Amino acid sequence: MVNVFKRMRKLKTVRIIDVRVGTGAAILPSVTSATKEFPAITRLHLTYAQKIYGGHQGARHFWRNCLPRLKYHNPGLQMTVKQTQEQEGPAALTIYFAERTSNAASLTAAKVEDKHAPAPESTEKTAVVDLKNLDYKEIWNKVKMMTGAQEVPATPEEEAELQKLEQMRQQSEKDRVRIAAMRQAKKDQERMLQEARGEIEKLKQL
Amino acid sequence: MASYSSLMPTAARSLLSSCLSPLRQGSMAPLLSSFQQVRGAKNNPQAQGKKNKEKSKKSKKGAREFKQRDLKDMDQFALCDAMRYLRAFEVGREPATSKYEIHVRLKTMKDGPVIRNMLRFPHSVQTESRICVVCPAGSRHEKEARAAGAVLVGEQEVFENVKKGIIEFDRLICHPDSLEALNKAGLGRVLGPRGLMPSAKTGTVVEDVASRVEMLRGGTVYRERDAVIRLPIGQLAFTPEQLRDNLRATLEQIKKDAAGLNDRINKEIYEVVLSSTHGPGFSLNGEFKSDSSPDTAFLSGL
Repeated sequence: MVNVFKRMRKLKTVRIIDVRVGTGAAILPSVTSATKEFPAITRLHLTYAQKIYGGHQGARHFWRNCLPRLKYHNPGLQMTVKQTQEQEGPAALTIYFAERTSNAASLTAAKVEDKHAPAPESTEKTAVVDLKNLDYKEIWNKVKMMTGAQEVPATPEEEAELQKLEQMRQQSEKDRVRIAAMRQAKKDQERMLQEARGEIEKLKQL
Repeated sequence: MASYSSLMPTAARSLLSSCLSPLRQGSMAPLLSSFQQVRGAKNNPQAQGKKNKEKSKKSKKGAREFKQRDLKDMDQFALCDAMRYLRAFEVGREPATSKYEIHVRLKTMKDGPVIRNMLRFPHSVQTESRICVVCPAGSRHEKEARAAGAVLVGEQEVFENVKKGIIEFDRLICHPDSLEALNKAGLGRVLGPRGLMPSAKTGTVVEDVASRVEMLRGGTVYRERDAVIRLPIGQLAFTPEQLRDNLRATLEQIKKDAAGLNDRINKEIYEVVLSSTHGPGFSLNGEFKSDSSPDTAFLSGL
């Protein structure tokens, strides 16, 4: 098994902080926290195509970046993702509301047919968001507006952690330049020696 | 003078040296002794070999045990917290392929026996494992194998299908009575690369077909490699309670295996890490849930 420090560093500074803080770290209204304006959300379904052309890139990035954070902050929420082979097909996020859709959702909902999304139950109402040609941040803003998600701000400890990560990133850039220069100098030295030896050989042959 | 004396037998030389005058003896002694040293080392290959061996042994000898790092530096998680993170990392993945895995780090010697065994979980990990049995048609074994849950049973029809490239099973078991027929059919080229070819060494040529089928359906094979046992332990849809049951069963079985080894061999469980197919590893602290972990009902399903 890998060294404890290596494992810890990767887990703590890269993976955990990434899933707790960032775009999409928010709590969606659940049954207990639902208001009149924003009813509870029961599940999410995302459909997009395998390749990025045709405007599917943002949808994939949304899955990569935002969905894990949403899942972490809403562990009970069911989320499904379907990757299709149909490049012309829809890139859509289906939001399942309990009982009725929110006003914002019904206003912005697109008329996109997503046949991969599971059928809503009798008590559920769905709103479909068209994700084509949208950045994942734009998608998140749309979703936030429609669902009334409460963003979870980073705690001071997490802020400190993020700052530390940034510092390490900067330091590693400096170090990379320094080490590259050292390696180059060593290589040059060796080449010069080689050339000098070659000249001696030539002189001997003459 | 030295070369002269070297031509003589030893007895003669000692005679000669005793005859020499005491004045010259002083200068003679170191010369002679150095000469004798050379001779001794050259003519005694045994001594030479011994010396070399001692040297190489010293350089080769490393630590006898695997290095144990201090776990104080490791952040450890309660089971529910680790599950919450892992479920976030697995979001949107194919539910059939994503599994929880554990890595059990042992405290053990670098050489010596390793743990390898089979295990049945209280809650089955594999969604469906299709097993094919090759045994003489119409025999008692055929009925038993079918009763135990084998998908395909037969001899010639199985061979023909495999030759055509239709392989609709994940495991192949063979009865010793039909081993000859199997070898004659020349399926090694098809089955070998897939790791399906039955052989006595892997335990897939057995008399008691039925019990083997049952074991393979619910069982998981595990073994220790470099002091770590890795095995899948649950589907992603499991509740924390189900996962806990499986985890307990596994750890108990491993402890039993470790105790069943030689008396002098001492193996202990050192660290348990929970991870998943696409997720990172979380070192477990042995607690079921912590204060901040969510309701267990939220941590099941897909």
